[in-house]
Amino acid sequence: MTLPEPMPDRACRIRVGTSGYSYTEWMEAGFYPPGTPGGKMLPYYAGIFSVTELNYTWYQIPKAESIARMCEAAGPEFMFAAKLTRTMTHEIDPDGWPGQVGRFRDGIAPLVQERRLAAILVQLPPFFDRCEKNRRYLAALLDRLRPLPVAVEFRHKSWATEKVYEGLAARGAALAAVDAPQLPDLFPPTDVVTSPEFFYIRFHGRNAAGWRSGNMQNQFDYDYTEPELKQWIKARILSMSLRAKRGFIFFNNHVRAQAPANARTMIDLLCSAGLEVETPGGGRHTG
Amino acid sequence: MFAVAKPLRARSVVHLNIADFAVAVERMVDRGLEGRPVIIAQERAARATVHDMSEEAYQCGIRKSMPLKDALRCCRDAAVRPPHPDRYERAMRDVFREVAGFSPLTEPGEIDGHFFIDVSGTSRLFGPSVDVAWRMYQKIRKSLGLAPIWSVAPNKLVSKVASRLVKPVGEYVVGEGEENAFLSPLSVHLLPGMEDQDLRQLNDFNISSVKQVADLDFEQLEVVFGKRAGFIFDTVRGIDDTPVAPAGQQPDKIIASRVFGEDTGEVETMEGAVYLLVEKIGDKLRRRRKAAKSLSIMIDYIDGLRCFRNLSVCPPSANDIILFESARRLLYMAWTRRVRVRCIRLTCRKPVHHQPQLTLFGREKKEERSDAVIAAVDDIRRRFGSGAVCMGRSFGK
Repeated sequence: MTLPEPMPDRACRIRVGTSGYSYTEWMEAGFYPPGTPGGKMLPYYAGIFSVTELNYTWYQIPKAESIARMCEAAGPEFMFAAKLTRTMTHEIDPDGWPGQVGRFRDGIAPLVQERRLAAILVQLPPFFDRCEKNRRYLAALLDRLRPLPVAVEFRHKSWATEKVYEGLAARGAALAAVDAPQLPDLFPPTDVVTSPEFFYIRFHGRNAAGWRSGNMQNQFDYDYTEPELKQWIKARILSMSLRAKRGFIFFNNHVRAQAPANARTMIDLLCSAGLEVETPGGGRHTG
Repeated sequence: MFAVAKPLRARSVVHLNIADFAVAVERMVDRGLEGRPVIIAQERAARATVHDMSEEAYQCGIRKSMPLKDALRCCRDAAVRPPHPDRYERAMRDVFREVAGFSPLTEPGEIDGHFFIDVSGTSRLFGPSVDVAWRMYQKIRKSLGLAPIWSVAPNKLVSKVASRLVKPVGEYVVGEGEENAFLSPLSVHLLPGMEDQDLRQLNDFNISSVKQVADLDFEQLEVVFGKRAGFIFDTVRGIDDTPVAPAGQQPDKIIASRVFGEDTGEVETMEGAVYLLVEKIGDKLRRRRKAAKSLSIMIDYIDGLRCFRNLSVCPPSANDIILFESARRLLYMAWTRRVRVRCIRLTCRKPVHHQPQLTLFGREKKEERSDAVIAAVDDIRRRFGSGAVCMGRSFGK
């Protein structure tokens, strides 16, 4: 299977958002108005961004009723990416995982039915290296998730090979490109696109000291500068947008609401670079 | 219209529940019990009942308080272990140590594997509450080998219901504002604090789900439930402002209980047992220079029905003879059925400081004499041991 070819005549529609939206500290940081109750955060967020990545689905398998309520709260145009639950990525139950995939699919069914699912994010842990057992597991997992849109994020550099990219392309899965600290064994930043349907980028921040602290407040404490984001657009996003119909970009550096601030800057920069960005209300902005 | 009090600040409460706590602790000690049906019961007692059991035993039909003989008939290969309260207390302390670093508001339950941790306002230090709860789970699993159910919700009530839903393993996150939608489809039996009487009344009206109760307004509830209408109105809406008690400042209470080896329905035996419980509580009160302002009793009948009653003690007292008068009234308030009794528990909540304030017209001679008797009994027991002297009422009980 070959990787998608550039399609310069077709515009790629990009959505930018953050990894999670329900952070009380974003109120103190000024993103949410003071006193915003938890239930009102999503409608407010959906007035600014057109997509979010659901992180809580990593901790527990989502429930369809609660996802349906979120769909309603966010409005009809808003999209969601859902992180696959840890029991299928980090704490794999060798016998139970196929059943859990079924329960996960049931949980996100409202997103699929309403065509609001950006992707299922399969984020694999640093200890999930490229060995026979893990390769077989990943292949079986991706087969079980078909035909839903899936993005795979590796955290071990052993997966950075052409054969892996071709394997993802053969299964219609997108490789999640990541920006993270340059640490040994981490998967490197890349502009490889494995699905012609969409590309998927996650900005984790570059806090090398806090990355392995085990505390999210240290790991994701980073504020991107404009030149850093411009560099990403120039070096990777422009070429990625030529090879996919859509693009999803998420900022995971949630500490002190740096993620939404950086996401807003990214939207402006993408528009300035002549790319088509979908914003709330169905509006599309291009430079 | 009933006013709904809203908390000023959004809260995030983690509930940890180590399912089948006694069995989980016994399995830490004896790994051979893993995967087997296990019953915790006093095997040597003539009418031993099941104190706790593993999920495997539960699946075989074994339930708490079931006679051990019947339980073993349900599951012949079940391993029976006697209760070890000291082990369970130690395990509670170990778990507490693992989680207390996340919040000063950490409230353990009564040696039952339950913990509430209020992590509101800690996100800048430790990250989102759901991640904190998961890290607590990881820490407990790695260091103690116990795998608690965990839930995160805006208050204690909803977090407790959430962890009940996923028993024996799992997790549940209920976001702020989702309380109502979360509780609506559930059975009223899952709500903590609902008493047998409340459930019977709801059943009489053919009401079984939380939503059906939530559809009733406060006035309608008041007609049926009287003073309890406020509690029920809030509970079915997931409203609970009960704070998580700070570590080391749990609600003060003194508990004494008696499980009868042979179920009883005899007045003398019951009164004698109650007197012994009063003596235990009175002794602890006097040692701490405190007095009981209220007493509550719990009676377990052999058919599984449980009855609670409360009574205030006025003026507060630490004198066994005076306390027994209240305790005996309580006993007859709760013991109203012609069914044998298996267990009695007497609780003194929030003892107050003993204030020997003189009454306007002086104390009665009778009270002074009873104080002197109790002081003398205490003296004798301190010198010669707790069994050196006893009241005729509790002799041989």
